[in-house]
Amino acid sequence: MANDNKVINIKVKRQDKPDSAPYWEEFNIPYKPNMNVVSVLMEVRKNPVNVQGKAVNPVVWECNCLEEVCGACTMLINGVPRQACAALIDKIYEQTGFGKQIVLAPLTKFPIVRDLTIDRARMFENLKRVKAWVPVDGSWAIARGPRFADRDQRWAYIISRCMTCGCCQEACPNVSGKSKFIGPSHIAQVRLFNTHPIGEMNKEERLDALMLEGGIQECGNAQNCRKVCPKEIPLTNHIAFMNKETFKYAVRKWRTK
Amino acid sequence: MDKKSNFLIRRIHSLLAIIPIGIFLLFHLSLNSTVFFGGRPLYEAVIHFMKNMPLVWVLELVIIFVPILVHAIYGIWIVYVAKNNAFNYKYGNNWAFYLQRITALITAVFLVFHVYLQRFSVHEAEGVIDGLTGLLQNPLFFILYAIGLLSAIFHFCNGFFTFLISWGITIGDHSQKICRYISMTLFVVIGVWGVSILTVIAGF
Repeated sequence: MANDNKVINIKVKRQDKPDSAPYWEEFNIPYKPNMNVVSVLMEVRKNPVNVQGKAVNPVVWECNCLEEVCGACTMLINGVPRQACAALIDKIYEQTGFGKQIVLAPLTKFPIVRDLTIDRARMFENLKRVKAWVPVDGSWAIARGPRFADRDQRWAYIISRCMTCGCCQEACPNVSGKSKFIGPSHIAQVRLFNTHPIGEMNKEERLDALMLEGGIQECGNAQNCRKVCPKEIPLTNHIAFMNKETFKYAVRKWRTK
Repeated sequence: MDKKSNFLIRRIHSLLAIIPIGIFLLFHLSLNSTVFFGGRPLYEAVIHFMKNMPLVWVLELVIIFVPILVHAIYGIWIVYVAKNNAFNYKYGNNWAFYLQRITALITAVFLVFHVYLQRFSVHEAEGVIDGLTGLLQNPLFFILYAIGLLSAIFHFCNGFFTFLISWGITIGDHSQKICRYISMTLFVVIGVWGVSILTVIAGF
């Protein structure tokens, strides 16, 4: 076969324990057409031998849906935060040149569990903080709620594609260990649930949460979030809109206090 | 609003940059533009008038000193908090974000020097102009002074763009793009304007 002697060379940033020092390790995988980063990592797992020929522990990473809707396999691929399942090797080579080394690293804004696996609990805690849901549970039936207007559905649906993958948080210069910024995705989620006809009934709670420490005011308009979002959510527009909403809400709250 | 929240201070920080600081910057440059019209005698007369206005120190304190101090002190915290990544994410707005923070620090140093030199070390109009003309004739000083001035102007113009977003005035892509063009055009226009003033003063 023509592909016999072609290899995919990957360099992985590894870390054995949450608090141990990171190190780099390279692997060569036989090339096959139509691979993605996940299938390359599966090959490493089948035969975990590094380029020095030394048998090592297989690389640890997370993946789940394999169709870019769960966000679990998000990692830095050649420095760009994206999903490993949607990162097709042939497409990467189209840009970098065939056989060029592919560098894999864990996201830098989250605690590392091991190798490419990170702890994204912070994002889920922050979703709880901004109450990113529609509260319908109760002890009696409350009948049908109002319908979502078609005009709003169109753009709100795009926000609902958010999978809390962390790409926007990774690229945002204001999300860092030095700030408590909840990040771009969560601001868009507030807009989604404040637009929802039932969710709208609790919009003040979400606006309050959005103005707490680490809230919307931490945005510095670098606008990287929008560029890296794999779901093409126009996060910057949603942030600007919520800037207006939170300001209006703050003024109204003060005037009626 | 939670007592611990910085929402209010962030919005005050943003507002102060335009009112009064940005307006003062434009007023300051307009006043200095007398160098184009009446030469040194008119310029000296205008500076003399401004510096001897009754209660001018109240205006200096309320419109200039306190707002800039508040903006600068909280701004340095904002600069500290950012984890700049313009070399990894080479987008125009991310570079503007990084430059906004770099020019913030340059402007802060420039303003301390500028205020010391032209407000506190000498106060009467004649001495201030003599001193500045002399220094600006040194090419190295001229370049450093122009960098300080251009940093302040960039910081104002780019800050105007982000101000419009932070207050929810420009929301969609189109309005943000148009205001991005306007802010950068303003930077070029005001920048040329400011450096021209320096050039004329250096020639006195």
